[in-house]
Amino acid sequence: MMQSGFAERNLQRLFPLPAVIFVAMLMVFPVLYTSYLSFTNWNLTSGMPATFVGWRSYARVLTEPRFVNALVRTFIFTFFAVAIEGICGVAAALVLHRAFVGKSLAKLLLLLPLVATPVAIGIVFNLFYDPTIGLANFVLTSLGLPPGLWISNDKSVIPSLILVDVWQWTPMITLIVLAGLAGLSDEPIEAARIDGASEAQIIRWVTIPMVMPVILTALILRLIDALKTFDIIFAMTGGGPGYASETLNIMGYKYSFEYFRMGQSAVILVVLFLVVFTCSLGIMKLRTASEI
Amino acid sequence: MKKLVRNIVVLSCSLCLCVSATVRAQQKEIRVLLANHPYGELLKSAIPEFESATGIKVNAESLQESQLTTKLTTEFATSSSSVDVFMTRPLQEGKMFYKNGWYEPLGAYDFSDYPKNVMSVATFGTKAYIVPLVTEWQVLYYRKDLLAGAGIKVPATFDDLEAAAKKLNSENIAGMASRGKGAAAVTQLSSYVYNYGGQYLDKGVAVFDSKPAVDAIRFYGKLLGTYGPKGVTSMSWENIMPLFQAGKIAMWTDASVFYGQIIDPAKTQLGADKVGIANFPAGPKTDSPFIVTSWGMAVAKQSKKKDLAMKFIEWATSKELAAKGMLANITMARSSVWEDKAVLAKVNPGLVETRAFAAKNGYPLDRPYMSAVGEARDLIGELIIDSINTKGASPNLEKMAKERVEKVNELLQDTGEYGK
Amino acid sequence: MNRKFLSTTIFYLAVVGIALVVLFPFLWMLSSSFKTQVDIIAWPPKILFAPTIQNYQKVFGEQDFLKYFMNSTIVGVAAVGLSLVLGLPAAYSIARFNQKKLAVFILLARLMPGISFLMPWYIVFSRLELMDSYTALILSHMLIALPIVIWIMSSYFGTIPREMEESAMVDGATRQYAFWKIILPLSGPGVITATTLAFIFSWNNFLFSQVLSMEKTKTLPIAVYNFLSYAEVDWGGVMAAACAIMAPAIILTMIFQKYVVKGLTMGAVKG
Repeated sequence: MMQSGFAERNLQRLFPLPAVIFVAMLMVFPVLYTSYLSFTNWNLTSGMPATFVGWRSYARVLTEPRFVNALVRTFIFTFFAVAIEGICGVAAALVLHRAFVGKSLAKLLLLLPLVATPVAIGIVFNLFYDPTIGLANFVLTSLGLPPGLWISNDKSVIPSLILVDVWQWTPMITLIVLAGLAGLSDEPIEAARIDGASEAQIIRWVTIPMVMPVILTALILRLIDALKTFDIIFAMTGGGPGYASETLNIMGYKYSFEYFRMGQSAVILVVLFLVVFTCSLGIMKLRTASEI
Repeated sequence: MKKLVRNIVVLSCSLCLCVSATVRAQQKEIRVLLANHPYGELLKSAIPEFESATGIKVNAESLQESQLTTKLTTEFATSSSSVDVFMTRPLQEGKMFYKNGWYEPLGAYDFSDYPKNVMSVATFGTKAYIVPLVTEWQVLYYRKDLLAGAGIKVPATFDDLEAAAKKLNSENIAGMASRGKGAAAVTQLSSYVYNYGGQYLDKGVAVFDSKPAVDAIRFYGKLLGTYGPKGVTSMSWENIMPLFQAGKIAMWTDASVFYGQIIDPAKTQLGADKVGIANFPAGPKTDSPFIVTSWGMAVAKQSKKKDLAMKFIEWATSKELAAKGMLANITMARSSVWEDKAVLAKVNPGLVETRAFAAKNGYPLDRPYMSAVGEARDLIGELIIDSINTKGASPNLEKMAKERVEKVNELLQDTGEYGK
Repeated sequence: MNRKFLSTTIFYLAVVGIALVVLFPFLWMLSSSFKTQVDIIAWPPKILFAPTIQNYQKVFGEQDFLKYFMNSTIVGVAAVGLSLVLGLPAAYSIARFNQKKLAVFILLARLMPGISFLMPWYIVFSRLELMDSYTALILSHMLIALPIVIWIMSSYFGTIPREMEESAMVDGATRQYAFWKIILPLSGPGVITATTLAFIFSWNNFLFSQVLSMEKTKTLPIAVYNFLSYAEVDWGGVMAAACAIMAPAIILTMIFQKYVVKGLTMGAVKG
């Protein structure tokens, strides 16, 4: 088949080109706009147009205790949620990675929490978590355990939210890792088995290292989204009680659409972006290291 | 190859533009944004009549209130709006929208049917910008059967209220409920503050650290902290209502709009005979619950079809539709429908009575009336949560209130509203 | 024999356990969607109740469900489809030519908080008069789907040994040809996973759809919020809407799954 030598030689530029153009077109303006806003003091409640104030908005936001708390909270929420999802997700993938009756059904069931619209899930879980008439406390009291305050208490709100997040997103890790496990070649595993290794040893020393790049792929994807978790927190607590569940993204929304402080909100969003960027880079370096 | 790709991109962009442009032929068409509100629903169902009568096509969208604000703000702030008419909340966004020049002055509209205090939040300077639609006022919902069973009369004062809450409070039933969720609770706390003789703002200065106001906050916290449902500090009306409907609450202070819900047999097993509605109890100083214009309608200044928009708003806020709203138990703002005996006969007597009382004695605001109200509500909300958590006994409350007052005053100064 | 039986039983118990945890909220949502409001908030929770279909009647009748469903499908299919067209070649290139910087650049799109796109996009799309069409929605959903496709597929392509296309190239085929005829057919599981996830993310997207859609182009997640009114939460309606939103997505992915199984078993070219 006749192909132009040009195409062949420049494939590494041509193949990604459409995608790159697309992303650049849609992203450049928003990035510039948000960055610009972060250097202004645009506040819709004052009715005055935006004026350039340099780093002043940054100074105001970054020194506010509420911001620092939100930052810390974002990390705590993300770290625990993703860690639990990673462990449970990989474990579930390992359990399901064999041919068995009902495997497709199991994979389908696994998809369900992912498919659930986060906003709807948040609203539903609100009722679930109600301390008086909620199903959660009903289950606890039926088992003889004391009822909890779940999202109504500033100490238990973050764990309660993490629980919902884990329920919803663990299946994503499982599915990605399952696909990765399916693509592994059998030889190393067979060889280890012949050498007399136990199943646990095989999993620990052969399977997991082989599939680690895929695990990290899944974790990075999940990490990025977890840092920006919005829908469920917004639908369930709106950042409350008080500010106890306010993460950076929620605070950004509040500052944009409830306080109408566009300049300061842009600062929060810029910081959030940098946080996500740094964390992603960190894990990506891990992924490269494990691919060797 | 590169050229080909670029050509394809350019071609598809222009194709998109052409298609949309031809679709956008010059028709008599307006875009209306409504809230998920019973009146919005009523309008939507009545729109076909308007369309056939005037030949104007109406693209109506309804959104939940916070999304409505998000959408309107995004559109207006970027000067890219195609909205012509929209529902708006005068007390929450009125000042801000006015300041940014997003409302069109309604000089040609006849406002004579609206009471003066209702118009006070729809007017800025000498012009009116919003047509008031619906009002709501603070009431006390109570369980007739529980009060009767314990031999208590309907509370008429705060002392009665506390005593009744104490008597009715039990393991399974919360004696007293009201919103505790920070910013959301600010509107309900307002009537308590007024009845203690306090205010949020006085002539543009924050005064909720005054002794009466702080006393009110303490009382609120004591009531809810001691007799309130579990987890009340994260509850707003949407959390309290199912509890009340499930029979878990003896008394509940909130706005009048929820009455229809809690006596609707499809929604609750309680039934109208068990649920009562009463005037908000009097405080130590006075008896002045809030009565506010919760929703209004406005024309967007950026609208390119203002004449069509005016036609719509005249129709949507007309006396005829207001009467229809009343028959659906929507408490409209127009005075005439409340004086129409035929209409009143069909409206819930409890609503009629409590409204008459509130209209006579009530205060037209339920929150600090300022542009930065969102932030101010969060600040006051912190006081409420602290008070509830300490059952009103918090030693820090005065200090916290002073700090919040300073912050709110800063907000007022930043927006040029201080002292006005 | 006993040992095998025991381990198999434990295995199935684990699977059932996982299934129950996953399913519990859904079962509750599904049963609640057939309850009246009274029954949903009843205490203790009612397991036996008189079912009603009025919630679904509201969802399909009053709320114009079919329109939302069509819109979500159109936007989702278009966004994911275009993302595959743009994304598969890009992912391959990243995997084979080790273009780390490129991967990071594409991923950047996913890193930005959604809120920061709302206003700038609104400005651009409304000036270009794209607001009243599906274009704005599809483009915004592509920005969600494309990074997922590229991210998952670049990792997946990385697990396919280079010998696959290199042996073909030695025989005289070009790399493009090898990509098209050899690598892609082998990518079934990866593509299905990426497509499914990208579609789900598009299907459930709330923020972009809410701000960038007009009455004609509204998508399903907005429908849930229709039941949250100013003074009312229609729990039955919310539950029914939630179930109704998920059902099509589930059916679609079920169909997708069958396709893959068929495709793989019909003889994959595996060296």
